[in-house]
Amino acid sequence: MSEEREGVRGQDHDVQQGKYMTFKSGNEYFGLKLQYVSEIIPFQAITAIPETEDYIKGLINLRGKILPVIDVRRRFKQEPFEYNDRTCIMVIIVKDTMVGLVVEQIAEVVEIADENILPPPTIMRGDRLQNKYVYGIGRVGDSVKLLIDPDKLLNDNDNSAAEQTNDMSDDDEREV
Amino acid sequence: MAEEFNVEGMLDMYLFENGQLLEQLQETVLEQKDAECFDEDTINEIFRTMHTIKGSSGIMMFDNVTAISHKLEDVFYYLRESHPQNVVHEELVEHVLQVVDFITGEMDKIQDGSPVDGDPADIIAELDRFLEEIKNGAVKEGKELPKANVSEEPKHFYIAPVANSASHFYKIYITFFPDTDMANVHAYKTVYALKELAEDLLYEPEDLISDESSITTLLEEGFRILLQAQCSEADIRQVIKTGYDIEKVDIFECKAEEFLQGFDFGDHQEPQIDLQSSVEEIEAKAQAEQEGAEEQEAEKNEKPEKIEKPEKPKMAPGDFVIQSKSPGKPKKLAKDKPKTEKAAFISVNVQKMDQLMDLIGELVISESVVLQNPDLKVPGLNLDNFNKAATQMAKIATDLQNVIMSMRMVPLTNLFQKMNRIVFDVSRKLGKDIEFEMIGEHTEVDKNISEKISDPLMHLVRNAVDHGIETNEERAESGKTDKGKVTLAAKTEAGKVWITVSDNGKGLDRTKILAKAKKQGLLDPDRLESSYEDKEVFQFITLPGFSTNEQVTEYSGRGVGMDVVVQNIQSIGGTLEIESTAGFGSSMILKIPLTLAIIDGIVMETGTTSFVVETSFIKQFVRVTEEMMIHEPTGEEYVMIRDECYPVLRIGDWYGLEDYRSNVEEGMMLLFEVEGKTICLFVDKLIGKQEIVVKPIPPYIKKVKGISGCTQLGDGSIALILDPSGLID
Repeated sequence: MSEEREGVRGQDHDVQQGKYMTFKSGNEYFGLKLQYVSEIIPFQAITAIPETEDYIKGLINLRGKILPVIDVRRRFKQEPFEYNDRTCIMVIIVKDTMVGLVVEQIAEVVEIADENILPPPTIMRGDRLQNKYVYGIGRVGDSVKLLIDPDKLLNDNDNSAAEQTNDMSDDDEREV
Repeated sequence: MAEEFNVEGMLDMYLFENGQLLEQLQETVLEQKDAECFDEDTINEIFRTMHTIKGSSGIMMFDNVTAISHKLEDVFYYLRESHPQNVVHEELVEHVLQVVDFITGEMDKIQDGSPVDGDPADIIAELDRFLEEIKNGAVKEGKELPKANVSEEPKHFYIAPVANSASHFYKIYITFFPDTDMANVHAYKTVYALKELAEDLLYEPEDLISDESSITTLLEEGFRILLQAQCSEADIRQVIKTGYDIEKVDIFECKAEEFLQGFDFGDHQEPQIDLQSSVEEIEAKAQAEQEGAEEQEAEKNEKPEKIEKPEKPKMAPGDFVIQSKSPGKPKKLAKDKPKTEKAAFISVNVQKMDQLMDLIGELVISESVVLQNPDLKVPGLNLDNFNKAATQMAKIATDLQNVIMSMRMVPLTNLFQKMNRIVFDVSRKLGKDIEFEMIGEHTEVDKNISEKISDPLMHLVRNAVDHGIETNEERAESGKTDKGKVTLAAKTEAGKVWITVSDNGKGLDRTKILAKAKKQGLLDPDRLESSYEDKEVFQFITLPGFSTNEQVTEYSGRGVGMDVVVQNIQSIGGTLEIESTAGFGSSMILKIPLTLAIIDGIVMETGTTSFVVETSFIKQFVRVTEEMMIHEPTGEEYVMIRDECYPVLRIGDWYGLEDYRSNVEEGMMLLFEVEGKTICLFVDKLIGKQEIVVKPIPPYIKKVKGISGCTQLGDGSIALILDPSGLID
């Protein structure tokens, strides 16, 4: 179980390859490449910013630096969850942008070899083909983690992706 | 090799120094462009600059830059020596600027890492032709041309390094095989190897790397080295071995004086500045030399070198050249520094500056956390000494803030100078006679603002010259007697810096613009054309694709410029206003906030959100009663305060906040005034006055109207900074 304030900066880049930080959101487990994760901090008060997207919860003060915070569930257009004492904020750095992700429950760091990563099934939804956020499905023991591309998570504003994530996860459960 | 060449450091230095030199040069040239000819100081300056650039470019192996600077140096050498009267000043100015442009272009390529591939051949050919013309003019008048500018340098002052009793002096003659390729490189290699042994080293020919003729000299006359070292002849022979390149090495030991005398050339007379010997010794030497020197001078003056100049040019104090020991480094002239800024500069990594800025911000916050600490609020505590110390600390912190903020500020001077050049270029090409005026160029702005407004400013200046100012004929026709003028003015006001580009040209045509707007369907069908204020009409030209120009010129008129300008300005939080009077001229006013701020702010709360507004915007705080309110049926509200009616903005409603107070009697009204407009803001309550550090909203979040930044309050929570001008619109 990852502890609070887990700093992974400074580790050798190679050592981090293949390692993913996993967290739970809704019924699924998601995974994010460890190299993007800067730290994990306990939930703290977020200052809301008016007139922003609903998934942008606001700003937090991290040791003097002001970061925007995103609610992952809302980003995926899923039902938002109640914040409780298990909720934490995962700070990620993607291409010089530092952002916090509000995460329902942090799981653990797992190692997934490349051969255990399958491409996500493509789902036709009208004319929307691609999977945007999830670029792969990682097999860990009996369970699967949906691997997310943080770049897309931050920058992609197309809503269709989130629906596909939902569909996929449903499919997965049926398959399993 | 003895030393490791740190190429990175050298390259930065090269780019930085030459950049400075070129800027200075351009400025000087533009100042004198309207004169009849360059004055003596300027000619010397240009010569020296080109000489320095030639040298340093040679070392860095940028041959094209070396070649072109060498050529211009030749031209100015001629001008300096002969003072020809037939120089076409305008042409000369143009040539100098051409060379400056070429070199600047190449240096940009170096900086980007692109191949440095500019071909100076055309410019060199033109310079050759130009020089020929002048020379021919001179010859026709019967003047004799001075000796060619090959190895003639300003007088060297040789600073001899310490020679102690163990030092030996050697004269070394190296003969190369006649078919040796790139003899200069071999010679250079040898010199380099000798450096390890040498206390001091002189060699001839000196210009090994950049001067190709040195190869011929080496092959024909051999390589001569004067060496001061503590080693023996055998040691030297270890270093300089004969081989496939070196045929023969002759080593003679000599006396110190002979060493100091340098190579036995008739012209090269090197007065020495001996820093090591005591004063008496120097005086004694000087006496002896003076007599020797005078004899030589007398001889020299008989030579028919230059006809117009009977005296030898006096050695000006600034002419000394400090000859460095290490081979190949460019000879830096002691006087060769930019004239205007006597202050010394250091270049600092911008990241470090940013870190410093962040830290001082943190300091301000910590300061308030300490000073407003609840622990101190114990009643009955005598805090006199504490308060005294606290005040002192606050003073120091404020001073520190001011200095650090000022470090990132750069004056707009350089930027304005660039504009000067543009006006010159474009007006010349279009055949218009245009004056350029700068006001308030010493105004300072943050470095990155200066960079971001560079392009927009250029565009506006081009527009002014191209469209604003009429041709000379048109001006005469409309009775304008004064020359066309473009003015760049800068000033700070109310936390913003105002930069104005104005011209006294023909102004904007309101009717034409309205017509075009109508054609493009931009007008509001419900509004009368006459209801549009001038300001609004003029803003139409900033829309993409909008141009009332019939024809597109090289410089403007396509209709893609102004909208990009406005975008760039908005990206740094600024605005563009346009004023114009038909027939008299136009003004483009850029208003850019000084984003770097530690400002005095008032903290207030609405609902659960804290806001901060800069104190200077607030005119009053008023508690109002329901009777003073006026509710329009459209939902807008006004309030009567002392017989004046002001529009009301409820922050809670405006931003869709939660849990805020709706009853006006329970909250507070703030009266803002921004640029003449007044508005009343309704908030729940005021918290207090605080100095805050303005931090930008993280770029990830799209811009919200009325919010210009955020800050951390003393207790660590975040407050949003309100921008009244955003609210007023």
